[in-house]
Amino acid sequence: MTSAILQAINGVSLAALLFLLASGFTLSFGLMRVVNMAHGAYYLLGGYIGLTIAEKTGSFALALAGGGAAIIVVGYFIDRFLIRRTGENHLAQVLLTVGIAFVIGDVALQIWGGDNLMVPAPQFLKGAVVLPGDIYYPKYRFVLIFLGLAVGAALWLLYKKTQLGAVVRAGVDDREQVNATGINVDRLFVMVSALASFLAGMAGVAGGAFLTLYPGAEWEILVYALVVVIVGGLGSLEGAMIGALIVGLLDAYGRWLLPEFSYFVLFGPIALLMIFRPRGLFGREG
Amino acid sequence: MDRARLALIVVALAFAAALPWLGGPFWTGLATQMLIFGLLALSVDLLLGHAGLFSLTHASFFAVSAYTVAILQVRYGWPTIAAAPAGIVLGTLLAAVFGISVRTRGVYFILITIALGYVVWGVAHRWSSFTGGDNGVTNVPFPALGPAAITSHTQYYYVVLAAVILCGLGYRVLIRSPFGLGLRGIKASETRMQSLGYRTGLHLYAAFVLSGALASFAGVLYVYYNKFVNPVASSFPVSVEAALMAIVGGTGSIVGPFLGAAVVLGLRNWVSSFVEMHHAIMGAVFIATVLWAPQGLVGIAQRIRARLAKGRHG
Repeated sequence: MTSAILQAINGVSLAALLFLLASGFTLSFGLMRVVNMAHGAYYLLGGYIGLTIAEKTGSFALALAGGGAAIIVVGYFIDRFLIRRTGENHLAQVLLTVGIAFVIGDVALQIWGGDNLMVPAPQFLKGAVVLPGDIYYPKYRFVLIFLGLAVGAALWLLYKKTQLGAVVRAGVDDREQVNATGINVDRLFVMVSALASFLAGMAGVAGGAFLTLYPGAEWEILVYALVVVIVGGLGSLEGAMIGALIVGLLDAYGRWLLPEFSYFVLFGPIALLMIFRPRGLFGREG
Repeated sequence: MDRARLALIVVALAFAAALPWLGGPFWTGLATQMLIFGLLALSVDLLLGHAGLFSLTHASFFAVSAYTVAILQVRYGWPTIAAAPAGIVLGTLLAAVFGISVRTRGVYFILITIALGYVVWGVAHRWSSFTGGDNGVTNVPFPALGPAAITSHTQYYYVVLAAVILCGLGYRVLIRSPFGLGLRGIKASETRMQSLGYRTGLHLYAAFVLSGALASFAGVLYVYYNKFVNPVASSFPVSVEAALMAIVGGTGSIVGPFLGAAVVLGLRNWVSSFVEMHHAIMGAVFIATVLWAPQGLVGIAQRIRARLAKGRHG
């Protein structure tokens, strides 16, 4: 029983991390129709930069902000000078951004080496919390759940309750129409893609403090994020939330109950879902 | 077929046959790899170039078939004549399962095939009691048919060359058949094909399974060349590189994927002899291909030929 609860918390904390990454991915697809496979590489690079900041300054908050901010800059140039040239050709985008991810991964390998590195979590988040029923759980992963919830709530408010959000939602539905009403869609794109980059870089720092950072981590996390958006439906924020929860829990219980086939436990039900709802739970035509 | 083309084919065949004398073991080995990965790229291109589906899971069929052959031969002592077909059958069966992904199109198809590919990688990587984990299965012998056994990499090169030529001829028949025309029709406009009465879903599913069978065959050729197989064979980079080879060479042709394999493997071999960062170099090739040569080498050649023809006539 205790383990079942522990696994549930494990699943939810992984879900929080996946949501940080997947929400950016799904928003940039929804608005700009861009499939950015370099998102995993953004995560890893952001994590490494955060690690260096944490080591130099000793501040975890600075690491989170710095890792995210650095990726805003990297992401901006990649968007502006490379991805934009592919138009709406998804095949070209996938190939291009996979190439970018390879380059980023290799550069990171040269700078930070091939070992598993852990971003140092702040002192007050070390150790465990005691939950009712004498369950000890790492404080850090517990706090991560709250970070995920806070980001989720902020994104939801931004998306549903502000004018900016309304414009973004309108852009998802019909980009030309929004442009025709005199709103500068290009500037909107830059803002949304900066947000997506920031979330990915920050996720790298947050994830690096418990999953560690290593060459190849960018692809592992990317695949999880992809499954989240497939389940939730590309372009849907609610979908990313629910999808992250489903994937996080399936992964935690899969690793616990069937460690050798945990990928099966994760992807089997998703393959079934795909047969009945090819566009995911909240996906739309397009 | 015009004369120039016939001459080109004869010269290419003569060159391929004479390669072990011209180039020695290093070039023969590299050429074997180019042929095997070219075949994998060709299987990817059946979907990409003809049906318009961009699959990133073909390393799965390649690896499942390679693992099957390796495990049956090394652990259970099966002969080549039984192990090789078993590999192709299992790889094709997996393709029949993964074929459900043709229910989706476009970007969903791409993302779902990536996810499916990771299932196979995950099993190869984590089910170590059966697959050998990261070490994989080693000591795979050369293939043997009764008393006729292959004993050297040079001999094996000719086996691969013959197999690839046969596959190429079969592939040519396939893509020129009504079935191949149907696929290209779906690529151009699926709704039009539907209104003509084609069951396009079934058509694409059949193409997916056939393409998986070809990838499985490439896996068999690979494991006998490589002598071992580990989870790397099933990994995402292999799938995406196979697609890259098809695109670098030029999709929708037979020569293209092999040209692409030659360029990609040749470049990687050459570059890795003086820099460590071969992943970054591959990444640069991806980027350059998308930005400057989306139609691949075959496309560039056609453009040059068209320009020459125009110059001659006008």
